[in-house]
Amino acid sequence: MNSLLPSLWAETLKMRRSKVPLVSAIGFSMAPLAGGLFMVILKDPEAARAMGLISAKAQLMVGVADWPAYFGFLSQAIAAGGMVLFSIITIWVFGREFSDRTAKELLALPTSREATVTAKFIVIAAWSLAITLLIFGIGLLVGALVVLPAWSTELLRTSFINILGAAALTIPLMSFVALLASTGRGYLLPFGWTIFTLFLANISAIMGWGGWFPWAVPGLFSGMAGSRAEFIGPHSYAAVIITSLIGLAATFYWWRNADQTR
Amino acid sequence: MSAFAIETHGLTKRFGDVLAVDRVDLRVSRGEIYGFLGLNGAGKTTTIRALLGMIRPSEGNVLVLNQAVGPNGRGPWAQVGHLVESPSAYPELTVRENLDIARRLQGIQNPKVVDEAMTTLSIASYADRKAGTLSSGNLQRLGLARALLHNPELLILDEPANELDPAGVVEIRELLRSLVQERGVTVFMSSHILTEVDRLATRIGIIHNGKLIEELDTDKLEQLRTKRLEVRARNLEGAFISLQSAGYKPVIQDETILTESTHAIDYPDDIVRILVNAGTPPTHLAVIQENLEDHFLKLTNDSSLRAQAATLVPGASAGEQSPTREEIASSPHRPAVGTGKNGSSQ
Repeated sequence: MNSLLPSLWAETLKMRRSKVPLVSAIGFSMAPLAGGLFMVILKDPEAARAMGLISAKAQLMVGVADWPAYFGFLSQAIAAGGMVLFSIITIWVFGREFSDRTAKELLALPTSREATVTAKFIVIAAWSLAITLLIFGIGLLVGALVVLPAWSTELLRTSFINILGAAALTIPLMSFVALLASTGRGYLLPFGWTIFTLFLANISAIMGWGGWFPWAVPGLFSGMAGSRAEFIGPHSYAAVIITSLIGLAATFYWWRNADQTR
Repeated sequence: MSAFAIETHGLTKRFGDVLAVDRVDLRVSRGEIYGFLGLNGAGKTTTIRALLGMIRPSEGNVLVLNQAVGPNGRGPWAQVGHLVESPSAYPELTVRENLDIARRLQGIQNPKVVDEAMTTLSIASYADRKAGTLSSGNLQRLGLARALLHNPELLILDEPANELDPAGVVEIRELLRSLVQERGVTVFMSSHILTEVDRLATRIGIIHNGKLIEELDTDKLEQLRTKRLEVRARNLEGAFISLQSAGYKPVIQDETILTESTHAIDYPDDIVRILVNAGTPPTHLAVIQENLEDHFLKLTNDSSLRAQAATLVPGASAGEQSPTREEIASSPHRPAVGTGKNGSSQ
C-alpha cells in the first residue's frame, strides 16, 4: 500500500498534465450533444423532414423524442463509444511509457512494478468512470434544455444503472488493451486490437452468440440489440470477469517478468 | 558485507539466436569507478539492463550491493541510481515534476532533494520548463539528476557524457570524481568516449561480442599512459649494451629495445648519437605512448571494426591515424624519430 500511493500520485500527475483527458472528455461529450440534437429534430417532424438525411438518421437511431429514448441512446453511446474511448485512455496510460521511453525509469525502483501497474489501472478506471459521469451529467442538462417528455425518478435510477453498468462492463475489458500496449510497446497493436474486438463484437451479436463474447456484452447490456434479457445472462458477466482477470494477470506477469529492452 | 558493489557470475543473455552477453564475470569493488567499454552492439547496455533487473539473464546471476537481483525486478534499488541509454522524461511535465515523481517513487520524503539535485546538475534555472522543451544536453542532466536524487551508494550509468558539451563533460567528470572521493560512491559507467573513461576510471572492462575480453586495473592503465622510447637496430644486442652502458636501463621486447628514461624520451637525438658512435645505428626510433584507444583497437583487432571505432574515437579515423611503427621504420638506414602517440614521426 505504501508503494501504491506514490505510484498513484505519479499517474494522477501525468494524467492531469496531459491533454488526453481534456480531449477525450470533449470528444465524448459530443455523444449527449448529438443525442440532444436528434431529440430536437424528432420533437418537430416538419423540421425533421426539412432536414432530410439527418432527420432520417435520427429516426433510425432513436425513434421517439423522450427521456427513455434519450437515456437509451446515451447508454449505447457509452457501450460502443466507451470501448474506443476507454481504449484510447488505456493505450495512452500504458503505451506512452514506451513511446516516450520512460518505462525503464519505472523498473529499478523501491516502488514495485505491481504498484505501478495497479496505479495505472486505478487511474484508467477512475478516468473512464469520471467521463461516463460527465456524459450522464451533460445528458441530463441537454435533456432538460430540450424539454423531453416522460421523465420519472425511477427512469433516472434505472438509466443511471444502465449507463454505469455499460461502463463497468467495458472498463475491465481494458486489461487486454493494457497488456497489448505493454507487449507491443506502444500504440498500434492495442489500437488494432480495439478495432478487431469491436468488429468481432458486432459479428457475434449479429450471429446471436454475443452473450458469450465478452467484448459484445457491454453493447448488449446497453440494449443496443433489444432487451438485454434476450441476449445476456450470468454466463455473459462471467465471460467478462474471467476475460478481464486473465488480461489483468497477464499484464502484471508481463511487467514483472518480461525483458525490458526499451 | 561483500567488498564488491557488483558481482556477476557467468552472466549470459540470449535474444533468440543472438548471444548478446556471453558468460561475463564482473567484480566491481566498492568505491571504484569502473569503466565499461565496447563498440556498438558489444553488449554494454544489455549487461547494464541485467544489472538493473530489467532483463532476465539466460544463465548466470547478478548480485548488486550484495543482494541478488531477482527476475521480478527486486533489488536494492533504494541504494542504486541509474541512467540507461538515452535519457527520457515525461515531456508534458516540468523538470521539477519529473524529479518529484522520481523522488516519490524512490520513497524520499524530503522534497528539498529535488532542488539539491537540480542545483548539482545546473538545471535549477529550467525547473519550471517542460521536459519536452529541453535540449538533449539538459535532458541528459535531468537523467543524471534523477540518478543522484536519492544519494545512492552505487551509480550505474550508461553513456553519462552523451549529448553533453565539452564543459558539461568536464563538469560531470568532476561530479562523479567528487562523489567517489567524498561519499565513497561506486560508479559503473559505460562509454564510447575512451578519453573520458581513461581520465575517470580506476578500472576498465572491455566487452566485445558479448565477452568481457580484458580488465585493466590501475597499474595497467598507468602502464598504458607511460611514454617509452622504442629502438630497433640491425645489431640489437650491441645497441642494447650501448644504451645500458649509458645508463638508460633498456629492456628488449619483441626484437625491440624499450626504455622509459625521461632523458631518452626528451632527447632522442642523444640516443641516435650514442648508437651511431657505438657502431650500432638505429633503424627505427620512436617515442610511443600506447593509450587506451590504441589498446582498445588492438583488442578489438578487426578491420571491419576499426571503421566503426573511428566514428567513436576522435583521431582514430584513417585520415588522422598516426603512422604505424612499420611505416616509421620503412627506411632501414634512415632512422625515424617519433615523439607522437604511438610513434608518430617528426
